[in-house]
Amino acid sequence: MGVAVLLKQVPDTTAKISVTDGRVDESSITKWSISPYDEYALENAIRLKELGYGDVVAITCGPARSSKCLVEAAAVGADKLIHVVTDSSSLDSIQIQALLSAAVKESSCDVVMCGKQAADTNSGSTGPGVASALGYSCVGAVTEVSIEGGVISATRLGPSGLEEVEVGVPCVFTFDKGDAELRRPNVRGIMMAKKKPIDSLTSDDLGVDTSNSAVSVESHSSPPEKPPGKKFVGIESVPEVVNMLRNDANVI
Amino acid sequence: MAYEALDFYDIDSLLTEEERMVRDMVRDWVEERVLPNIEGACRDGIFPDEWRVEIGEMGILGAPLKGYGCPGLSYIAYGLICQELERGDSGVRSFASVQGSLAMYPIWDFGSEEQKEKYLPGMAKGELVGCFGLTEPDYGSNPGDMITRAEDRGDHFLLNGTKMWITNGTIADIAVVWAKLGGVIRGFIVEKGDEGFSAPEMKGKHSLKASVTSELVFQDCKIPKDRLMPGVKGLKGPFSCLNNARYGISWGAVGAAQSCFNSAREYSLSRIQFGHPIASFQLVQNKLSWMLREITKGQLLAYHMGKKKDDGSWIPEQISLAKMNNVDMALEIARMSRDIHGANGILDEYPVMRHMANLESVKTYEGTHDIHNLILGRHITGIQSFTREP
Amino acid sequence: MSTTVIAESSNGSLHPITSQLVGAASALGGSITVICPGGIGSTDAAQISGVSKVISVEGDCFHTYDCMAWSESLSPLVEGDLILSSSSAMSREILSSIAAKKGVPVVQDVTNLAEGFSATRPIYSGKAIEEVRVPSPCAISLRPNSFEPAGGGGDAEIVTVNVSQDITVAVKQALAKAGERLDVSEADIIISGGRGMGGPSNFSHLYEVADVLGAAVGASRAAVDTWDEIPHSMQVGQTGKTVTPNLYIAVGISGAIQHLAGMRSSKYILAINKDPEAPIFGVADYGIVATWEEALPVLKGQLLEMLSS
Repeated sequence: MGVAVLLKQVPDTTAKISVTDGRVDESSITKWSISPYDEYALENAIRLKELGYGDVVAITCGPARSSKCLVEAAAVGADKLIHVVTDSSSLDSIQIQALLSAAVKESSCDVVMCGKQAADTNSGSTGPGVASALGYSCVGAVTEVSIEGGVISATRLGPSGLEEVEVGVPCVFTFDKGDAELRRPNVRGIMMAKKKPIDSLTSDDLGVDTSNSAVSVESHSSPPEKPPGKKFVGIESVPEVVNMLRNDANVI
Repeated sequence: MAYEALDFYDIDSLLTEEERMVRDMVRDWVEERVLPNIEGACRDGIFPDEWRVEIGEMGILGAPLKGYGCPGLSYIAYGLICQELERGDSGVRSFASVQGSLAMYPIWDFGSEEQKEKYLPGMAKGELVGCFGLTEPDYGSNPGDMITRAEDRGDHFLLNGTKMWITNGTIADIAVVWAKLGGVIRGFIVEKGDEGFSAPEMKGKHSLKASVTSELVFQDCKIPKDRLMPGVKGLKGPFSCLNNARYGISWGAVGAAQSCFNSAREYSLSRIQFGHPIASFQLVQNKLSWMLREITKGQLLAYHMGKKKDDGSWIPEQISLAKMNNVDMALEIARMSRDIHGANGILDEYPVMRHMANLESVKTYEGTHDIHNLILGRHITGIQSFTREP
Repeated sequence: MSTTVIAESSNGSLHPITSQLVGAASALGGSITVICPGGIGSTDAAQISGVSKVISVEGDCFHTYDCMAWSESLSPLVEGDLILSSSSAMSREILSSIAAKKGVPVVQDVTNLAEGFSATRPIYSGKAIEEVRVPSPCAISLRPNSFEPAGGGGDAEIVTVNVSQDITVAVKQALAKAGERLDVSEADIIISGGRGMGGPSNFSHLYEVADVLGAAVGASRAAVDTWDEIPHSMQVGQTGKTVTPNLYIAVGISGAIQHLAGMRSSKYILAINKDPEAPIFGVADYGIVATWEEALPVLKGQLLEMLSS
């Protein structure tokens, strides 16, 4: 019993990203937040807890600053906080999934929730990866969960559209934005969160080797400048514009 | 574009994590709930009731008070709450200031144990709204000469008189009313529905339109004896409430100024005249630089005042300086920001004209700008100049 | 060098992006095996030029989408130095699950891939570009329309493999998609109308284009203020919503500074306006000087044609 919710701290989606000497300059990022899809995971984890499904254990993997997202989670109802302290940006997917899986085992939760992808890399590898590492089932792109008689039903956007599925535990759910209104913290929650202990674990504590990352970042760069706007006269240009929207801009 | 609060001297780094979290909570609420709806509320002349509910749910009312269901936050946190609310609208901050500093605070400090138990928990949740009756139609800066009287009629008090310019009056469940009992100013708690009490709303304001302003009318208003607050006599009572409210205003004004600065900065960068963004012109840069300078000074003033409130080392004159200075700078910044916006500045598409009109009230209430000058004048010279002695 | 490509399908047939995956693999050289989950599109996949072998994986488990069951079935068949898939939501899931099972690193949503492997991908919603080096073996998903597709004319051998796997996810019911219109604040594509639309009933033409694109319909303040039928919730701009879609199509909107404040951060802007001097053209990546009456039907037709091909 219990829900582990995996939270990633990312630059606020409105933050300006600047690149200095071939690397994104993290020090210029003024606001860090819980990745938006992870917030839906957190909300649904708390709802499942309110339906009687054990405690919510918030887990994050990242540098010291990421503990803030655990405190934020505690302010809206997370019961236990686990911080896997590591420079996560230098790790590859196998290492991160190994750390998170080990932390989930530590929490003994049989339901895991996270966002369908994080707002920084937009990868979406963590949920299914952790499910594979733990041997759990996995349901992706979920907007809502409920539980009845030990069976969890979830609304997901599947290959053939929106559908309701049932799945037994243990299971990983990855969340899309749903209709669920995210709860706002309040002063009482914030003050209690401050007192909640954070269980800080290192990769050594979890028995995961993080020395050699398979993936190495060669460089970061700013996106190429957009060419100046093109103006056409008359509807004869419509096919050309549509073509450019697809092949140059890649937006349709 | 996302709101980035001006913080040139990194006040943020001086805050505790708890203070930042409370600030961000209120900031997010203002962003999601106040800003999209504020112009409608102003046009309709209402303070939306759901704002009362949500402010109550956040648990920020009576921020620095401890016990009786009150939050027990630092004065810095209380200041930050005021700053964020007023970045939305002075009317929203006024609601919280009046509830917390002017209605809850006197009950918390001067009320009987029974009064505290009865009112404070509900007020902290926003379920009970309070107002504060000091100013009268003919006595504003000079409250000591108030006319409102209470008479002891054995098993009850009888109140007679009129209070004016009372924020939250019409929507309030209780009013903390200052009246003379045997020639001495005392505080009474009057409940909505008490015989002989009415609170008609004042209409036609060009300022604080999203805030309820009322008269409190007492015509042989009969209240039980246990509504007298036992803990204070004289002007010290209302003045100690005002100290807290004025402190909050010194932060609130920073919020309004930040909003005006942000709008001016964004507008000047996107408005093209003579082939260039107006932000590239020296006269506009001079204005923006002045705004940044004044806001930064105001922030440091408010922050340090908060630290003094938190360690108890303050004197009321310091609060007078902070209130007077910060409201004055905010009003000047609102006017300057309106100027940068050109004709667009008078539209409700931009917050500046609304802030400007609001700040005219803020400059006047809770001790006018000039009265604060006189408070400081007395402090400097030792000579009071409020009145000419006979 | 050998690559396994996981074929992408949609509506029971091979999705054209599969050719792009093969194209990207061909550029790196070596043999290419295409795996078709559920056997969908295996005949078409065999005809893509450069494919050495197609594995048609068949079994009951492919009747329901269960990421774990699918990846469990496919994993043993995946071999080689590189595993490629599309970066669609479903393929990402399957790919990362296969990668985790095989213990190889995964890199998603790659827009450029060179030997070594050197992979390029946008991060922070495209606000920066990251180049990473990944050793083989590894798993990489590719962003659609970023790679040259391989041509046709191939004739690869098709091997059918039957698998059986327990399904742990049971589909109880299909849910009707909410009939409500997408909100401008959450749409990837927005088409907005201004007062130039002439009247609120003409917004139906915007909805027609929106339906083709899966877009939300927005409006300028001028339109919202002029016509009661256009609600404030549709308003984009200073006092409306601030939006940052991938594509913003402004129709009959002159581009007042208040409107620009709400949409100028959109990734791409297409403006359609009959006035060549309209300020909206100053922020547009693509501008078409034409009336909406002329332009919208042609635009709709072209989009339909493009999206069906």
